[in-house]
Amino acid sequence: MNEFVERQMKLTWRPPKKSYDVVIVGAGGHGLATAYYLATRHGMSNVAVFERGYIGGGNSGRNTTIIRANYGIPAAVRFYQRSVDLYRGLEEETGRWLMHQQKGILWMAHSQAAVRAERMRAKLNTEFGAQTEWVEPRQVRELCPELDIEGGGRWPVLGASYHPQGATARHDRVVWALAEGAMERGAHVHQNTPVEGLVLDGERVTGVRTAAGDVAAGAVVSAVGGHVSRIAAMAGLRLPIRTHRLQAFVTNHYQQQFGPIVASSELFFYASQTARGEMLLGAEIDPQPSFSYRSSHDFVQDVCRRALCLLPFMSNLRVLRQWTGVCDMSPDYSPIMGQTGVNGFYLTTGWGTWGFKAIPAGGEQMAELIATGEVPELIAPFGLDRFARDRTMADRGSAGTH
Amino acid sequence: MSLRIPCPTCGDRSVHEFVHGEIRRVPDHLTDPDERDLDFAFNHDNEEGVVAERWFHAQGCRRWFEIRRDTTTDRIVEAEES
Amino acid sequence: MATLLVDGQQVGAQAGDSLLVAMLRTGLHPTGGGCLCLGGDCPNCLVTVDGVAYTRCCQVPARDGMVVRRDLLGGEEPTLLPDESLSAGKAAPVRHVHCDTVVIGKGDSGREAAREARNADLSVVTLDARDGQHVTGVYPGPLVVASDQAGRVLHVHPRREIVVATGAAEIQPVVPGSDLEGLVTARAAAELVAAGIDLGHAVVVGERPAGLPEGTLAKHFPIGQDSWELLRFEGDGRVEAVVVRRQGDADATEERIESDTAVLGLGRNPRNALARMASDLPVRAVGSAAAEPDLPPCPTEGTVCPCSGVTVADLDDVWERGFHEMELLKRATLAGTGTCQGGVCLPYLRSFLLERGGRLQPAFTARPLNRQLTVRELAAGAHTAVTARSPLHDEHLSLGARMDRAGGWWRPWTYGRKDDEYRSVRERVSLGDVSSLGKMAISGPDAEAFLERIVPTKVATIRPGRCRYVLMLDERAYLLDDGMLCREADQDGGDRFFLTSTSGGSGFFELWLRDWAEAFGCDVRILNQTASLAAINVTGPQAARLLARAGAGELPSFGRHRQVRIAGVDCRVVRLSFTGELSYELHHPAADARTLWRRLLAAGAGFNVQPHGLETLLRLRLEKGHIVIGQDTDYDSTPRRLAHEWAVNLNKGDFVGRQALLRTNKLPLDKRLVALRVEEPPAGQAGDPSAEGAAIHDGERYAGYVTSDAGTAAGGGAPMLGWLYLDPEGNLPRDVTVDGRAARRVDGPIYDPEGARARAAVDIVSESPENVREFPLARPEATDLADEAPTGPPRLRRLEATRVSATTAALDAVVDDSPWPAGALAFRTASDELLVTATPDFEVAGDPHAIVEPETAFSYVWLDEATAERFLDRECEWRRPNARRALAQGEVAGIPAKLWFEAGRTLILVPAPFAAVFERRLTGSLGETDGGAP
Repeated sequence: MNEFVERQMKLTWRPPKKSYDVVIVGAGGHGLATAYYLATRHGMSNVAVFERGYIGGGNSGRNTTIIRANYGIPAAVRFYQRSVDLYRGLEEETGRWLMHQQKGILWMAHSQAAVRAERMRAKLNTEFGAQTEWVEPRQVRELCPELDIEGGGRWPVLGASYHPQGATARHDRVVWALAEGAMERGAHVHQNTPVEGLVLDGERVTGVRTAAGDVAAGAVVSAVGGHVSRIAAMAGLRLPIRTHRLQAFVTNHYQQQFGPIVASSELFFYASQTARGEMLLGAEIDPQPSFSYRSSHDFVQDVCRRALCLLPFMSNLRVLRQWTGVCDMSPDYSPIMGQTGVNGFYLTTGWGTWGFKAIPAGGEQMAELIATGEVPELIAPFGLDRFARDRTMADRGSAGTH
Repeated sequence: MSLRIPCPTCGDRSVHEFVHGEIRRVPDHLTDPDERDLDFAFNHDNEEGVVAERWFHAQGCRRWFEIRRDTTTDRIVEAEES
Repeated sequence: MATLLVDGQQVGAQAGDSLLVAMLRTGLHPTGGGCLCLGGDCPNCLVTVDGVAYTRCCQVPARDGMVVRRDLLGGEEPTLLPDESLSAGKAAPVRHVHCDTVVIGKGDSGREAAREARNADLSVVTLDARDGQHVTGVYPGPLVVASDQAGRVLHVHPRREIVVATGAAEIQPVVPGSDLEGLVTARAAAELVAAGIDLGHAVVVGERPAGLPEGTLAKHFPIGQDSWELLRFEGDGRVEAVVVRRQGDADATEERIESDTAVLGLGRNPRNALARMASDLPVRAVGSAAAEPDLPPCPTEGTVCPCSGVTVADLDDVWERGFHEMELLKRATLAGTGTCQGGVCLPYLRSFLLERGGRLQPAFTARPLNRQLTVRELAAGAHTAVTARSPLHDEHLSLGARMDRAGGWWRPWTYGRKDDEYRSVRERVSLGDVSSLGKMAISGPDAEAFLERIVPTKVATIRPGRCRYVLMLDERAYLLDDGMLCREADQDGGDRFFLTSTSGGSGFFELWLRDWAEAFGCDVRILNQTASLAAINVTGPQAARLLARAGAGELPSFGRHRQVRIAGVDCRVVRLSFTGELSYELHHPAADARTLWRRLLAAGAGFNVQPHGLETLLRLRLEKGHIVIGQDTDYDSTPRRLAHEWAVNLNKGDFVGRQALLRTNKLPLDKRLVALRVEEPPAGQAGDPSAEGAAIHDGERYAGYVTSDAGTAAGGGAPMLGWLYLDPEGNLPRDVTVDGRAARRVDGPIYDPEGARARAAVDIVSESPENVREFPLARPEATDLADEAPTGPPRLRRLEATRVSATTAALDAVVDDSPWPAGALAFRTASDELLVTATPDFEVAGDPHAIVEPETAFSYVWLDEATAERFLDRECEWRRPNARRALAQGEVAGIPAKLWFEAGRTLILVPAPFAAVFERRLTGSLGETDGGAP
């Protein structure tokens, strides 16, 4: 039996009840993590997660699995560092093999403006507890000997910021471990059960409407990815969200030889080798809002072209598979977490292209909010009300790439 | 190529030749000027389905035009269909 | 006879052999076992060919000299890194093909579909794996991507329909022993026999292959109801016996038949992935590709997915663990995620889930790539973004400049004399190339009203001949860009303005202006002159003297602009200052830039003039506290946060961002961009921005970070800019620390706080009366487009032209009238814009607000029709017009181009900032061999 299967999780499906303390819409990483931390940290297990498809079938299963904390604003560095730390303990905590590998991220600079930006990133990260340092081309070559430091003569690497805590984990296994942990403590997960409406009592959300009937809830949390505007509209909210495609692809499987994650903001791509040996490449979101899961050729074409500038060893690798997720983008490239102004209705959204790395911290903090009724300090800056308060969280460290 | 955008001046071109723009809408029920402005500045319908939108043909005629596109499939809806 | 090397062993191949057949002739199995299909559907013949791993050797013709490694033989994965290190990875050549219908597959159904389409007068392209055309995907566009044997990649763009006629794959065996050598599918058996390969004692299970000579097969066991079921294969490495039993009778005796080869006709699975991955495109599956798949019996033992090594026991295991959905089964076992993308396992996963769950689940999602192309093949036709070049690019290089990408342009970062570059500005005079600034001419009846609505300053008070610094805000009142707005001296046709943006904003500038002009319904003409005009900043205490020596008669005073002929070149001279010194910005036709630059350097020789690079400019402006958009500003930078309230007039009427300013001004301020002075900066070279990003502390409180630092200033101490957060009482601290060093917030610029140097009064005549002399007008290589013969190697040349922005009706009239020399061409680039290949010696009578400007910043090349076709088939992915004397605009070789098609020849126009790269791509593309393919 192969190891991947042998060390698999156990999922337990139960019939839905008429009423729960908390109903979470969306059984992706964030929804399941919220259920997991409600159960493990707050003893709340009368919780149901409703999923229109199968668990982890949205962006949780369509991302590029990168975990990092080298963001560009203090609040984000603190938040993502919490997530990096939780991820590091998650295998031990859940007793499950998540294929977590710490490998470090090199963020390449090819221009003086980028050199300045990466140096600034390093300083800001260090100030707020994330390890990031500026490295010179010579050190870049040591950390990633496969990289053409001359950039084919056109995109020379002038240095990079290096974030040694950068890591990857197997996306599906993270989702399943959280699902298993929540389920074994009594939480329910209902697949193939789309939420079609919210039950409102005056100004308060008191449950959800599904094809199988209404389900009462003390609190309703939207943790959906890709369709949050539709769920929010059920509560009468219009959100600062637009949904865009994000594409990625992998090559065939090769021996483990490529160490770090490498990224270039100017060439707009990033690459790493997965635990299974595939080279995995991603880039920025598609420019137009879209809910289509269709992959396009120009994406793989452009990213291959850019990757060849820095990673010419990839020339003869074969590309195996492309895929697409749809990302909810906020105007300031930061997540939106917390209360909504509608009683009983909570949001965790705006996960754009950085949702996977935030799964444990996002779930932990949302669980604390719901369990205690108090907004945790770590996510207070990320509330929906920040736009009205003119306290947007513009983050250059997240813009453009994963 | 990828998605093709029909420029009325130049013809069908790859989406990469264009810049996307939105036709903004503020809900009628908002009467407070600050509330209207906030909604105008930040919020989106983010509709799933056929939407009217603007595109600027940056690599061609360098003009804006309006089309209708189904955001669930990216299909461009011809004028006579809508 | 071809000879190739397999794992170092010489292998002979006969004419027409695939690599697989050649290997089987020699008795070599490519992967050591597993049923061979010869149809490209299974993962059992993957080898490394000439360094490319995961090559299906049944799909590759054997060629002399091929070097083959059986990398998967030992169960290890191929190595990631090639034997030789590579640099400058190159993309494969591309060929764009336009048609009405593309038919994938040349079998009976494919040929029939192609015939039908041709009978309907449609142009048809057919692709077939047997001709080496492996289709990797059907994509939006629509676009069909295929490799071909010439090492080229085909991009087929069908206008109407994609027909998938790819036939069906054969179902593979999933029983114990299915990884042995000596197993082939029924179709494969027929092909191998036809190729003269002896199957030995061959036993058939299932459907008997068609067309085999009598006596080839020893024994035949049909499968299914009232028939036989396949139990296992026995053997050690190679099949020795096939074991079958009467169907549905567990008590029946097993029959063990000794065999050299097991031939397996287990049913068909349509090859419909190309159709399934494109369900929203005009795609149609025909023939057996459209048939319902056969469902094999639920497997009980053996390997289901050879790519990922998934067994039936694995499926059982995850089923028990609650993974019941097709997608979850796939993700939990990794079945179907290998090279064959479910080619082997999918039918069995379906029968497994049907048996366990009582529900037939659909196939998992089909995703590209259907056939795995290499990274260099997939990159075919792509280009990295082009960095624009100033008309002075080569001048900078010849002066030893290190060029840097900044805001989409190549800029001189330093000329290698950092200290002297700085001193030449502060003490003498210096030249800076600011050609990359965005530049717009704006006129029309609503020009002033329009500008009032898009900039927060009061435009009405900018008198003719004056200029002013302006902010550009978005509807959130966040700063997008800044620039200067000049109102022209009185014009006959009414108001006309010249507006600049930063270099980084120049790409966004025009679309932003046009967007708002349309939103407000303003009647304006807008002409983008960013590339048309070069600009040189002459800055330093001796700037006026230098210009006088270069023949300038009268120069504008501070805050003004005027047309002045300098060194024989007509310039708009704008007097504002970014460096803090006396500065004149000389905007002039791009074609004259080199002449002007050289003459200014010559005229300044006596002042020891030096050019300065961007690095020095960033230091100079920092000493003046001037912000740099994008470096000091952030997404949420309101004028209030930037301490730029002085550039906003809230009482002048509505403008973009005004309501947001009123809204946000009611909220407490949280942070402000401030100038700081660090008295004892860390030791370091002047100009080293080592404190950028450093934390600012107010006592123990984190209070922000430094955005700009340029090291020690001339007078000691380091000026910096940074974001400073207000304290809980709402005050901005005065004394803070930066990286632990004491710093003080300062209220004005550190250098020349009164601004006396920039605003100095200059009397140019009295400054240098002896030097006012005439310079000849000297523009290089003027060309006459009409005379150009399409011969010789293609070289881009500069075009002398005119651009016009006017009403549609006025342009219609002027085109009818054609008041330019015969032979000149007039291109209608937009309904309200015209490009004429003649000098601007004509009037646009129908529009008093028309903007008619010389345009010297296009380069052109004529190509004869065949050369143009060859080039454009590779570098232009969109459909070109069939008509002659037709204009087309769009991206060619990754660069915005205009094409003019005449009978027998084609004109290509590209903007000068991209001309050098375009010429390189043109030459490279024409020099590329095609590999002799059709």
